[in-house]
Amino acid sequence: MSWVNHRIDDRLIHGQVVIAWGEHLRPRRLWVVDDRSAANAWERDLLASAAPGIDVRVLGVADAAAGYVALGVEAAPAMLLVRDLATALALVEAGAPVPAFTVGGLHYAPGKDKLNEYVYLDAADRERARALRARGVRLDVQDVPASRPQPLDALDPSLA
Amino acid sequence: MTESRVPALLVMHADLASALLRAAEKVYGPIDGVEVLSNEGLSRDALEGAIADRVRGWSAGGLVLTDFWGGSCHICGMAAARGHGELVIVSGLNLPTLLDYLHNRDRYGVQELAERLQKKGQDSIRLQRGQSA
Repeated sequence: MSWVNHRIDDRLIHGQVVIAWGEHLRPRRLWVVDDRSAANAWERDLLASAAPGIDVRVLGVADAAAGYVALGVEAAPAMLLVRDLATALALVEAGAPVPAFTVGGLHYAPGKDKLNEYVYLDAADRERARALRARGVRLDVQDVPASRPQPLDALDPSLA
Repeated sequence: MTESRVPALLVMHADLASALLRAAEKVYGPIDGVEVLSNEGLSRDALEGAIADRVRGWSAGGLVLTDFWGGSCHICGMAAARGHGELVIVSGLNLPTLLDYLHNRDRYGVQELAERLQKKGQDSIRLQRGQSA
């Protein structure tokens, strides 16, 4: 039961995660896998305070990969967040057998192409998406539970 | 009492901040000195930067008024406020709270006004049942 969603979202914890997915999936645990945040005590405290009622852990990629399987056999539902495709790929390459990621928010930055209102990719992102798929990881685009999930390559034919 | 006005920045989802300010003008009259910012389409880093740019000149502090705890507006407000000791993030803002801010922004200091708004927001949600004819 444990891992109920793995999400790629450059906002990490925010309203869609806490309110929409939180109410829909009722996770008891939330892992934020992000080397930058994990290295900063202030940022760890901020993220831990942002989701009342959920046990938030902020971990680096190596620590998350090491603990991923063990948490996956626990009964309590858990959700995992990464900020970008690079971290998603790093987590899988470090040994975490993640079956799928939901691409929930990769917002505009210079040099990125628009796929929809909340997903923008550049060439490096596409390479990482291909690498994840080559490892058998499914990538679906969906911001909130009420919207319809779409395969990433349906929005970006260059990935097909 | 204080002679300096406490500045405020409304940071909310979609068009809520500008809509709330327009609604407040219908009750309060023309409003100046309140900035609005939407999180629409912004990554966390971009939103945090946009908030930081707007509050950088608040040497005596001020209020970042956001829609709900745990949302990107709140989290980015907290991140932008890091190291800015007199900045207070107020979450759960509603119209009565905004009106109270407008009526009292020249009367209180930052901390005192923030605490007043918290109480005002909590007190403003009330229940009243219909009565049988």
